Amino acid sequence: MLEHLAPQLFNGLVLGAFYAIVGIGLSLIMNLTGTINMAHGSFMTLAGYLAFTMIARGSSFWFALIAAPLVAVVVGVLVERTLVRPLYTREPFYSLLMTFGLSLIAEEVYRLIWGANGVPLSAPAALSGAVSLGFMSFPVYRIFIAAVLVVAIIALALFLTRTRFGLRLRAAVQDTEMIAALGTNTQLLYTVNFGLGIFLAGLAGVLAAGMLGLSPTSGNALLMPAFVTVIIGGMGSLFGSVVGGLLIGLAISLTTLFVPAASEVAMYVLMAAVLLVRPRGLFGEEGIFG
Amino acid sequence: MNGRQELVTSVAIVALLALAPVLSPLVHLDISIVSEVLLFTIAAMSVNLLLGYTGLPAFGNAAYFGLGAYGAALSITYWHAAFFEAILLGTLAAFLGALLLGPFLLRRRGIYFGLLSIAFGQVFYFIAYRFTDVTGGEDGMNFPRPPIGIPGLHVSLQQTSFYYFALLVFVLIVLAFRTIVRSPFGRTLIAIRQNEARVRYLGLNTDRFIFVALLISATMAGIGGALFGLLINFAYPLMLDWHQSGDFVLTMILGGAATVWGPLVGGFIYVIGKDIISTITPLWQIFLGALFVVCVLGFPRGILGTLAALRPQKARSAALDPNAAFDPHAPVEIGRGV
Amino acid sequence: MASDAALLVASNVSKLFGGIRAVDDVSLQVREGTIHALIGPNGAGKTTFFNAISGYAFPERGRVTFRGVDVTRTKNWRRVAMGMGRTFQTPSVFPELSVDENVRLGVRAHAGLAFRLRRTTGEAAAAVDRRVDELLGFVGLTAVRDRLVAELAHGSQRLCEIAMSLSTEPVLVLLDEPMAGLAEAETDRIIGVIRDLRVRLGLTVLFVEHNMRVVLALADRITVLDRGRLLAEGTPSEIAANEAVRDAYLGEGVLEHV
Repeated sequence: MLEHLAPQLFNGLVLGAFYAIVGIGLSLIMNLTGTINMAHGSFMTLAGYLAFTMIARGSSFWFALIAAPLVAVVVGVLVERTLVRPLYTREPFYSLLMTFGLSLIAEEVYRLIWGANGVPLSAPAALSGAVSLGFMSFPVYRIFIAAVLVVAIIALALFLTRTRFGLRLRAAVQDTEMIAALGTNTQLLYTVNFGLGIFLAGLAGVLAAGMLGLSPTSGNALLMPAFVTVIIGGMGSLFGSVVGGLLIGLAISLTTLFVPAASEVAMYVLMAAVLLVRPRGLFGEEGIFG
Repeated sequence: MNGRQELVTSVAIVALLALAPVLSPLVHLDISIVSEVLLFTIAAMSVNLLLGYTGLPAFGNAAYFGLGAYGAALSITYWHAAFFEAILLGTLAAFLGALLLGPFLLRRRGIYFGLLSIAFGQVFYFIAYRFTDVTGGEDGMNFPRPPIGIPGLHVSLQQTSFYYFALLVFVLIVLAFRTIVRSPFGRTLIAIRQNEARVRYLGLNTDRFIFVALLISATMAGIGGALFGLLINFAYPLMLDWHQSGDFVLTMILGGAATVWGPLVGGFIYVIGKDIISTITPLWQIFLGALFVVCVLGFPRGILGTLAALRPQKARSAALDPNAAFDPHAPVEIGRGV
Repeated sequence: MASDAALLVASNVSKLFGGIRAVDDVSLQVREGTIHALIGPNGAGKTTFFNAISGYAFPERGRVTFRGVDVTRTKNWRRVAMGMGRTFQTPSVFPELSVDENVRLGVRAHAGLAFRLRRTTGEAAAAVDRRVDELLGFVGLTAVRDRLVAELAHGSQRLCEIAMSLSTEPVLVLLDEPMAGLAEAETDRIIGVIRDLRVRLGLTVLFVEHNMRVVLALADRITVLDRGRLLAEGTPSEIAANEAVRDAYLGEGVLEHV
């Protein structure tokens, strides 16, 4: 039993870390601007494909791991400035529709450039193979993914709690009226916030490409669990997203082991259970109407 | 629009639709495409009730649409249901779906409602996708169009008769919809969109209104979905997917939010545009995405909403027409997730 | 006066915002038939306290009773049915509907006619019409009843909001900064209406206010908040003489002409 269970639990945590990091990005954008970024998955896919192309042209995996998300950030910031920002003062579903439309375009563009079928992005030799722990063995690449995601989450937490800009961002995310009170440059805040969200998505996109595969829709496959992550963790709570992501990862991997057909449904059952007990999510703020 | 004008417009629209089987061959349009327009419009109207009138980002209505189609498909495949029974059971499935999800969705408003709608709506997609033994999984379910199920009348509807049946249902739904949005109940929904806190401080339990609006919306979407399933004799998981929900929202916004006929305009553009463009190029999705972008930036009020805004101010305000009541530029608080 | 004459009692109410105590252990009694003012410098927690007692956002600690019933966690719409009405700092109206329709929504809601598909007819409709006329007459908006609220001046929007909060036949009206953003003439008009609330309708009023001229012109009792805490409570003359209150307002100049 244990030899099946332990690797599955580990896989669940790695998967959960993906959901967490995508969920954090979504949550940052959602809370500051009221935008549900439906194109979030597209940016993940974009970073994955960029990394694939970079590696195919001879650059190292390590370079691509950082450079591809950064290019995605540049694209993301441009899109945010030109197409999404004008919508912040409107009803929030307009920005949702906008990003939805962009994700449709992106998907088709990826299909045109990189083909409808998936492309392989293989991890470097240094990260292949497995580590044996006696009773079980872990693939090195997954351990590496877990490590990178943990580092990224810690770095983000430090940025948000230890730097001046991060503190302002956090204050603004928690209470948008604070932005004006703090006299902060809101335009810069929007840009950095969106860019940060896209960078996290891009990082996850490159790492996931090596583990879950890369196709025009592969990013979108992570989007739905990331939504559920935000709901379970509670909107606006980054810590909540981490807990929510890990819980879903575990729920999915354990159901995959026992009832494979119910693996996706499991996260919804979890979500419904959490919402029944705490309508605002595990760590979310209470809404105006209780 | 005053009562007379509205009556004339409505009669003209219905008359034109009634002539569609004669007119559509002239433009090389299959009548089943026009049926599809009507059914798609019903789904867009269901979104309109929640989003256009009540102000709730209903991004999960494909779930009810798909439940309608699967309800029909399952009842025909496993219980040999007749035509009307299949529609009834499909609609019932959608209604029960909303009854189940409602208590969860009701707890939140604004974008959080949107997020919950998207997420919960997707449950049914995964169920249809995964439970292959029952639902056929990714391949979907093919099923025949059964006889209509009236004793002594053992026929099944052909394309043109199906169209007239769809038109009848459509007209009935438009009439019901108009009655609802003009009723005290509908007025209260509009008030909720404009200022929910105030409605609550008028002593009304807005949750109750929203729940009923959700049930009505899901029932409409369910009827549209059941008929759509019967039109194409097929139910497939993507009917339940959030992409489908997004298309319904687009159709509604494109025509004009909070208008009675807007979704029909949107439905025509969406369905026929898709039909024409997909035969020319495989890149329909890029056009669709661009349509989203152009609509949001250029026509946020939709086509009918933009036309209504061009009318003199007095005509708009005197009639208290919800046509004019929808203003996408009305300032909103940024980042409200309550 | 005995505490059983108190219509609304807040005991040790606290409201937290992300670890910050916006309202800290505040108690207050509003007696029946009085006009009670809640004042304090910017950021004193007046509106937050107001929201906590009116059920807009529940307090984390403390107790609120209304007409002798514990309503601490009672939904806001239920409180309205119990006889509590309120307005907001920025007029909370339906901007895209006419003045008439705004008030009518409230009257219909109170008459139990909102949750219906059929239009009201006959005697019930006539009763609604009469009530709408009465309320519009009371606040003096009869002449503009067919205009969209969004087109009205700020002061008229506020009067419309007051008419709406009266449509539910409250015994206690909570007014959140009724004079915010108004010109002098409009302010006087609203002072008159608030006075009428008690004199003509026999209602009890609790209002948050910034403008000391208004407070002194209207209030029987004044409660002062400062940085989320209760600073003082008393009659207008007691408050005007209070050292701590003067200190809290120092530099704001609002007590200059007291």
